[in-house]
Amino acid sequence: MSIGVGEYLALASVLFGTGAVGFLVRRNLLIQLMSIELMLNAVNVVWVAFNRFYPERHDGQIMAFFVVAIAAAEAAVGLAIVISLYRLRKTVETDKADALRH
Amino acid sequence: MLEQIFDNFAVERMLLWIVLLPLAGAVVNGLFGRFADRQMVGLVGVGTIGLSFFLAVVAFLRLLDMQPEGDAEFVPLQYSFYEWFSIHLRGRAVPIDIAFVFDALSGVMTLVVTGIGLLIHIYSLGYMSHDRSFARFFAYLNLFSASMLVLVLAGNLPVMFIGWEGVGLCSYLLIGFWYETPAYAAAGRKAFVVNRIGDFGVLIGMFILVAVAGSFDFASINHSSYSGAFTLAGWEAGTLATVACLFIFLGCTGKSAQIPLYVWLPDAMAGPTPVSALIHAATMVTAGVYLCCRLSPVFVQSPVAMSVVAVVGTLTALVAATIAVAQREMKKILAYSTVSQLGFMFAAVGVGAFAAGFFHVFTHAFFKACLFLGAGSVMHAVGAHGDADIFKLGGLRSILPRTHITFLLSCCAIAGVPMFSGFFSKDEILLGAAQLGVASDAAFLSPSIGWFVFGGLAIAATLTAFYMFRLYFLTFTGEYRSAGASDGHGSEAHGSGEHGYDASPHESPASMTGPLVVLGVGAVCVGWLGLPHLLPFTGAHLPHVWGEWLKPALAHVEFTPAGGDPLTAVNIAFIAGVSAMAVGIGLAYSMYANKSSDPIASGAPASLYSFLQDKWRVDELYAAVVLRPVKGLARICAWIDQTFVDVLLTKVTSGLVTLSSFILTRAQTGVMHAYGFVMALGVAGLMLWFWSPHPDVMPVVKGQNVEFTAGRGLGYEYRWDLNADGTFEVPSGEHASSTFGSKTFGSETSASHRYTPDDFRGFILVAAAILGEDIEIPLSEHAVVLDPEVLGPDWQVSGDAALPPAVRVEGNEVVIRPNSAAVYARGKLVSEKEVRLPAGSRLRIGQVPMRIAPVVQATLEVRNAFGNVARETVDVTIDVAAPAGARAEVVR
Repeated sequence: MSIGVGEYLALASVLFGTGAVGFLVRRNLLIQLMSIELMLNAVNVVWVAFNRFYPERHDGQIMAFFVVAIAAAEAAVGLAIVISLYRLRKTVETDKADALRH
Repeated sequence: MLEQIFDNFAVERMLLWIVLLPLAGAVVNGLFGRFADRQMVGLVGVGTIGLSFFLAVVAFLRLLDMQPEGDAEFVPLQYSFYEWFSIHLRGRAVPIDIAFVFDALSGVMTLVVTGIGLLIHIYSLGYMSHDRSFARFFAYLNLFSASMLVLVLAGNLPVMFIGWEGVGLCSYLLIGFWYETPAYAAAGRKAFVVNRIGDFGVLIGMFILVAVAGSFDFASINHSSYSGAFTLAGWEAGTLATVACLFIFLGCTGKSAQIPLYVWLPDAMAGPTPVSALIHAATMVTAGVYLCCRLSPVFVQSPVAMSVVAVVGTLTALVAATIAVAQREMKKILAYSTVSQLGFMFAAVGVGAFAAGFFHVFTHAFFKACLFLGAGSVMHAVGAHGDADIFKLGGLRSILPRTHITFLLSCCAIAGVPMFSGFFSKDEILLGAAQLGVASDAAFLSPSIGWFVFGGLAIAATLTAFYMFRLYFLTFTGEYRSAGASDGHGSEAHGSGEHGYDASPHESPASMTGPLVVLGVGAVCVGWLGLPHLLPFTGAHLPHVWGEWLKPALAHVEFTPAGGDPLTAVNIAFIAGVSAMAVGIGLAYSMYANKSSDPIASGAPASLYSFLQDKWRVDELYAAVVLRPVKGLARICAWIDQTFVDVLLTKVTSGLVTLSSFILTRAQTGVMHAYGFVMALGVAGLMLWFWSPHPDVMPVVKGQNVEFTAGRGLGYEYRWDLNADGTFEVPSGEHASSTFGSKTFGSETSASHRYTPDDFRGFILVAAAILGEDIEIPLSEHAVVLDPEVLGPDWQVSGDAALPPAVRVEGNEVVIRPNSAAVYARGKLVSEKEVRLPAGSRLRIGQVPMRIAPVVQATLEVRNAFGNVARETVDVTIDVAAPAGARAEVVR
């Protein structure tokens, strides 16, 4: 059985779904950040998969690198926020971080 | 050597520099003057106008040099710098150039503006030396000079209008120069608002002239009024000229302070005295006379407008003179004197004596500037601020010798003492009026107008001589009446204040007396340029330099005297002028020489005296008739604004915003999971949207052809069934991009098809709507009875029965049963019981044109990247021609 683009897309969908559900159901900010990483990497799988099937163009690879870079930046900022939140509230539960509201 | 300079230098280009130099001075002093010291500011202010004067003199010499020999047509110096913009008029572009014209008329005005302007700039160095807004004053004064030069040099009406508005602006700025005093600021505002009324007239007049003459250029307008090319459909040339001239004259009454818009000029004396001399005596206020002279060929086309100008001018001369008789303040008297003298000029224009009127503009500029500057010198000397009460002055002859002698010379000039400048110009005006009076061929103006003007001006001239020497005697002769006053120099003593002036006045500095002397000499001498053609009684001929100069620039009006003797009018005018002067000065001498009280105040009826002193109470009249209704209207508008607009726009709007923001901010819970959930919902919605394809077919009908365009999307592929036969023709063969089972798809997003009668799926009756969209009535085998609403009025043949027509489809044709309707088809009224029409036929029922349009059908299938397929079927009404031989014409 050869592996086609459909298999890659299925994998990406599973990864993305895991990330999305994880983000929605967990309360721990660290876990939520990991879920976001999972979703971003699901998208990366799609990019590189399509690039493999259209090898004469490099858009997919380039976009995957962009996503990696953005994800790194996001992780840096996100972890800093986690530390700040912990210093402020002595917790990393997102339910407790609801000061910004109406 | 001068010749060489002429040859090597384009004189025409100099015209631009005449204007630009003062403008540059205004910019420099306006932007940087506050940081520079006074000497620098003065140097820039005086230097720029001085250079401008020098260039004007050079240009004028060149102009005299260019005077053609014999009957050759006179060509003025002119230069068009660039095209400003153009308008479209009756399918033709009318360009508006930044163009300057320097002929005798604008040349003399340019010399006056720059020359007298230079003297007044120099005078201001001394007069304004203690003012803290020294630089601002010179910036305004230079800006005024530049605007005035644009006004006089302009070669067309719009450019003239720039200057016209510019001088109005500067007038406003300079009247309200000491704006800390509310009354002065109000005077500036009044001048501006009153002038706006006149400016509106100029604009309307300008638009009429361009509509009629097809050009904005003075030369073209004047030429077309001569050559009878003065036309507009449905109007007589004379009426057009009358309307245009009256609107232009409305502007002149505003700018040149004539009845009914003169009320701003006396109040304008709130400005510094040099301003009164330059703007409100010598230059700006004569702009109206200048404009009338500029457009004199148009004015002479309209006897009505000429008569109005003559009568208004005479009445203004009279009314202002009577007011001046009863005033107490120096500048007020001079202001009303200016209004009165401007009336003289307009009276001259009105009787066709354009050269005489403009000559008076010229001489008046000298003696009135000298009088105002003399008054300023007196006020400077005695420490008066704003204005000076002449009953608190007196005996200044020995204290201010230079001011005294120049003031006396100018008084003689304005009173018309023989051989002084005012004598010649006033005599020319009286002569013009008398010539009209005795004329036997004044077909276009009534001789009675001439006599009315003559009589009115003779009385006004008498009053002029009287009030000017009243002013002179009370100011300069007798005892100084403020000698015992304790007030020190520089007190804020207003003219009407109770306290007197500086006890020990002193002569003004040389920067002030110098210009006075120059202007005083001018007041005596400039009249010699316009020595009369004919000397009274003797009939000796003299060369008339002035008239010869101006001949090419002005309309020429000449009357044949009744009895054939041209000396009659000359003698009458001379006798009237000299006796008016003698009576006026004599009366003033007997009443005021060495006196300190006003015999008019005690001698005349008190009501008349106070009526004159209150300036005929015109301001009060305007306040009651114009201002009060306007203020009432303003109050109503304010009430509506505060009650409705403010509530609706501020309270209701802000309430809506507050309410909606209250509702929307409920969504800001601060709970991150809520935000994440909403985001996930959005992503799910998007995925749902992309899951199935969207065909979105857009047909474009081009007669029998229809071009279909489909929507675009992720991996969309298309196939079309254009003629609704169940097989998908497009894509065909090699255009197919992919095949799924038996279905072949292509990537083309559009397809087109030419429809033939075999493709028709049905018919629609299209009724052309007069307004809005056409009405489409679907047809079938079953007869449709048309709705009378669609048919509009008058669809019945006769009024007896009202059965609308019935329409049905039979095979490939449409059958119409007219019933009681008037159906026109195949070029005539259908009289048969039924008529058969093929697709594409045109017909008319009653008043409504209709056509029979076939309907075709097309189907599109779209497949997207997920392999989902969507199908859309569209019905299209197409427009075909009826088959040959069956074409049905509509009978109109």
